[in-house]
Amino acid sequence: MSTASPVRTTAVSAEGLWKAYGMGEAQVVALRDVSVEFASGAFTAIMGPSGSGKSTLMHCLAGLDTTDRGTVHIGDTAVTGLGDKALTKLRRDKIGFIFQQFNLLPTLTAEENITLPAAIAGAKADPAWINQIIKTLDLADRLSHKPTELSGGQQQRVACARALASRPEVVFADEPTGNLDTRSGAEVLRFLRTSVDDFGQTIVMVTHDPSAAAYADRVVFLADGQIVEDMAEPTADKVIDKMKHFEELVAAAQGEHA
Amino acid sequence: MLRATLKGMASRKARLVLTSLAVVLGTMFVAAAMVLTATMEKSVSGVIADAYTGVDAVVTRDTDGGGMGGPGNPAAMAIPAATLEQIRATDGVDRADGAIEGQVKALGENGKLVGTFAPTIGLNWASGEGQGDYIELREGRGPEADGEVAVSAKFAADSGFTVGDTVTVYSDTVDLESAVAYEIVGVYGLSGDRDSLAGETQVAFSTGDAQRLLTGGEDVYTSVYVYGDAVDTDAIAAAVGNDFKVQTGEEASEAAAQGFAVVSDFMGYIFLGFGLVAVFVSIFLIINTFTIIVAQRQRELALLRAIGAGRGQVVRSVLAEALIIGTGASIIGLGLGLLLGWGLSEVVSATMMGGLPVQLLIPATTLWALAVGIGVTVLSALLPAVKASSVPPVAAMREAVNPPKPLRGITIAGAIVFLAGAVLLAFGLTDNLGGEELTGILVGVGIAFVGVTMLTPILSRPLVALLGAVMSWSFSGRLGKLNAGRNPRRTAITASALMIAVALITGIATLVSSIKSTTSEALDLNLNSDLIVSGAQGGASIPSFSPERVNEIRALPDVDEVGDVYADFFNTKVNGEEAALSSSSDLQAALAVFGGTVAEGSVADLAPDAVVVDEGTAKDRGVDVGDTVEVTFSDGTAEQLTIAAILEGYDLTNGWWVAPDQVQHFMVQKPMQAYIQVAEGADVAAVQDEVDEILKDEPEVGVTNNAEFVEQQTGGLDTILAAVQILLALAMIIAVIGVVNTLVLSVLERTRELGLLRAVGMTRGQVRRMITVESVIICVFGAVLGIAVGIGLGWTVQQALEEEGLHNFALPWGLIATYLVAAVVVGLLAAIAPAARAAKLNVLGAIAYE
Repeated sequence: MSTASPVRTTAVSAEGLWKAYGMGEAQVVALRDVSVEFASGAFTAIMGPSGSGKSTLMHCLAGLDTTDRGTVHIGDTAVTGLGDKALTKLRRDKIGFIFQQFNLLPTLTAEENITLPAAIAGAKADPAWINQIIKTLDLADRLSHKPTELSGGQQQRVACARALASRPEVVFADEPTGNLDTRSGAEVLRFLRTSVDDFGQTIVMVTHDPSAAAYADRVVFLADGQIVEDMAEPTADKVIDKMKHFEELVAAAQGEHA
Repeated sequence: MLRATLKGMASRKARLVLTSLAVVLGTMFVAAAMVLTATMEKSVSGVIADAYTGVDAVVTRDTDGGGMGGPGNPAAMAIPAATLEQIRATDGVDRADGAIEGQVKALGENGKLVGTFAPTIGLNWASGEGQGDYIELREGRGPEADGEVAVSAKFAADSGFTVGDTVTVYSDTVDLESAVAYEIVGVYGLSGDRDSLAGETQVAFSTGDAQRLLTGGEDVYTSVYVYGDAVDTDAIAAAVGNDFKVQTGEEASEAAAQGFAVVSDFMGYIFLGFGLVAVFVSIFLIINTFTIIVAQRQRELALLRAIGAGRGQVVRSVLAEALIIGTGASIIGLGLGLLLGWGLSEVVSATMMGGLPVQLLIPATTLWALAVGIGVTVLSALLPAVKASSVPPVAAMREAVNPPKPLRGITIAGAIVFLAGAVLLAFGLTDNLGGEELTGILVGVGIAFVGVTMLTPILSRPLVALLGAVMSWSFSGRLGKLNAGRNPRRTAITASALMIAVALITGIATLVSSIKSTTSEALDLNLNSDLIVSGAQGGASIPSFSPERVNEIRALPDVDEVGDVYADFFNTKVNGEEAALSSSSDLQAALAVFGGTVAEGSVADLAPDAVVVDEGTAKDRGVDVGDTVEVTFSDGTAEQLTIAAILEGYDLTNGWWVAPDQVQHFMVQKPMQAYIQVAEGADVAAVQDEVDEILKDEPEVGVTNNAEFVEQQTGGLDTILAAVQILLALAMIIAVIGVVNTLVLSVLERTRELGLLRAVGMTRGQVRRMITVESVIICVFGAVLGIAVGIGLGWTVQQALEEEGLHNFALPWGLIATYLVAAVVVGLLAAIAPAARAAKLNVLGAIAYE
């Protein structure tokens, strides 16, 4: 399903990430020495059961959360150790976000939501590029609507457009279809696929849905804070199959660090 | 259910604190106003009651009316020495002292009168023990012989004199020409370490000197203080006869205190007025806070409903929370209010009452503050609670969207209420309410006020958009503007609290500036004078000066014309109806200076039996040139005078003008004002100096140019305005806390939104700016509305008073600009805490926030 570009550079990389929450007995280790690279122009899905650390990994990669140990790079920028100002600028200029819900500002129109990062930066979004996204997402007749006047699928498409509007180095999508019906979800996923194929966008998506993961070029399986499997060219069946044997994978992983 | 309520409250501490704060402040201000009023009243009456401590009976002349300082007939007020002897001879009387008290005038170090606004009281120094409790010598001794005086500490401070200096004192009986200088031998304070009872200055003479100054030298007294363990008032009354009133010391104290109670009642009304404004503003604050909080808890309440709680239970749960918050916060507010009331009493006493010792009194009515606090909280929670319970559980548990309710209902209702008020007002202003105009106007203003408040949500849309357009030069500013406009009701109710305070201040300021404008226009419009000789208005005595000075001023080379004015207005009548009388040594010359014109007849060389009147008055009375009217002067003389001329209507010359020959019947037979027309091209300032020199021995008056004159006439208003501004600033503080409250709650409500903004790259500075712009917009919106309503208020009162001579309507532009700037500053300050809170949000936590 993927059209791999001949030359692949690394868009996001993590090296030896550790992250723990709480103290003493109650301490939960969310990430356990995770090292992973995400190639630019690729669509990667992160999967894993609840509590596997998949969301934590994404938050750490995106500079939304701090790591206890290890380093994160986005492009050439070392994320680890950046101050709030630099992190904010990084998020604004190099990262796009798509969340599960509450993705839009209710006071702004769809169009204003799409150009929000540029407006925050005090810059003008590239109109040709914006037009292309809007056309691809079929939002042209919805631009002057407020989020409350849009369906859930339309809202999430607007969020997708916003994430791509500033041509970020990478788009992080956190369960983007979690709140949508199957049809709207498929539309969103098709768009993400298209943006990788046609625009060379890098996307990292956290999901627990095998059919969503099937849209990706690669699936990274996380369990108990560790990467337990790295699958290329996934299909829904392959992913389901892998998940069926998940307990074995987890046991194996636990055996390694026990 | 109660446990769930309590746990819910504990888990939302920020909201709990903010709601409580609203209730605490409201209760605090009500309680403080009540304590302040009661305490001031008790302190003032306590002081007066002091005056007769140790006195067993007080004898005075039994006359009604003609109070102290009034001209009346001094002889009618007097107690003869023979009566004093009769009292002394009565059984049970150990001692009886004759006291003499009345108003005197004293020259200070600068040659002008001591004490402009409060009177100088002359009294005889009693060396007896009775007064000892009350008068405390601070320096020197009491007067022991004629020619010696002791003065009160305030007199010493105001006059610039001290022990060893001499002071010239005169009175209505002994005029300035024959006044004597007295040697100051002592300075005294009043019990409680005060310099003055209520702002007055005092001079204590020997009994002989006091009688010379105050009773024309007769051996009489104004009252007699009686001492003795076995004093029987009935026996004294029998001895002195029916012309005298005999009271026990307690009765006299009560009577005196009642006289002063009018003063403290007046102050009480003012403070209670501010207390009510504070409550009114607080009600807005509490209702707003509860509405927001219940709206935010909709999902929590829906969950309770989903797991089987009945609607009644949900309502009761919210009400229980309101009751707990209301009770707790009201008790705290009551306690703080008592402290504030006590503190304010001390401040008022120190700044306005000459250091009056404060006697704290907490009236039982203070408990009403508790009722107000609890009642308002529970009622404010009721509506949102009922609304929350009526939402289907599933709908509420979905995304917490609170679409703004349509504004049509409240707008229509507000328009109707406003129109009703306006119609009532219009009827009142056009004198169509059959004698109840003033009531109609006041009620109309109140109703219109409520109407405007109901219209604020709809008004907020265009106004917030307009104000926002000014402030949204940056993107974060634009977001702030959108946030300010997203919930018109919330923005409106928050701004309304500010509006009320600003409206009241602006209304009063508009009135003051209209009065000033009217006064200065009256001077500028027709008046040809450049300089005015006059005394400060509102003083305790009527300032006047010698007619000789008018001639001296006329003789100055650069003076063209001088118009002098004599006036008589105490019990003066024309054809039996009260009317003020005026006179001038040369009415024709005076009219030239005033710019007045004669419509009919002639004013040249008025004959003694001639009288001149203005058109308006002539029309009202139905008289014309040649008619005869009966004019009664303040000395009781009545004369038949013939109207010689009619003047064209003009403020300064309105009323009845009699010939100079009639001045002998006036109470004050000296000119009170003189208007000087300086020669064309002459240096007005130089002439002013020359006139000043001529007036150096006239203690009661000075010379001012026209601008200074307006300032002098209206100076007191500025003081009142300043005091009102300070008191309303307190109401403003509540309003500002309301803004902070709304912003903090909005920040909480928009946590996820803020998280999203931060996630897509908004810096902390931009977040702060966004909140600040929202805050400034709300505050300026409130101020703009308040200024508009205040101007309307001022205009209404001006219209109502137009017939009383308040012709001009003038806006206090400087103050309006100040209030707008203040609103911006207040907006900036109110935003500090909420903005900091919003900027500090943990991005990750905010996105995941439920």
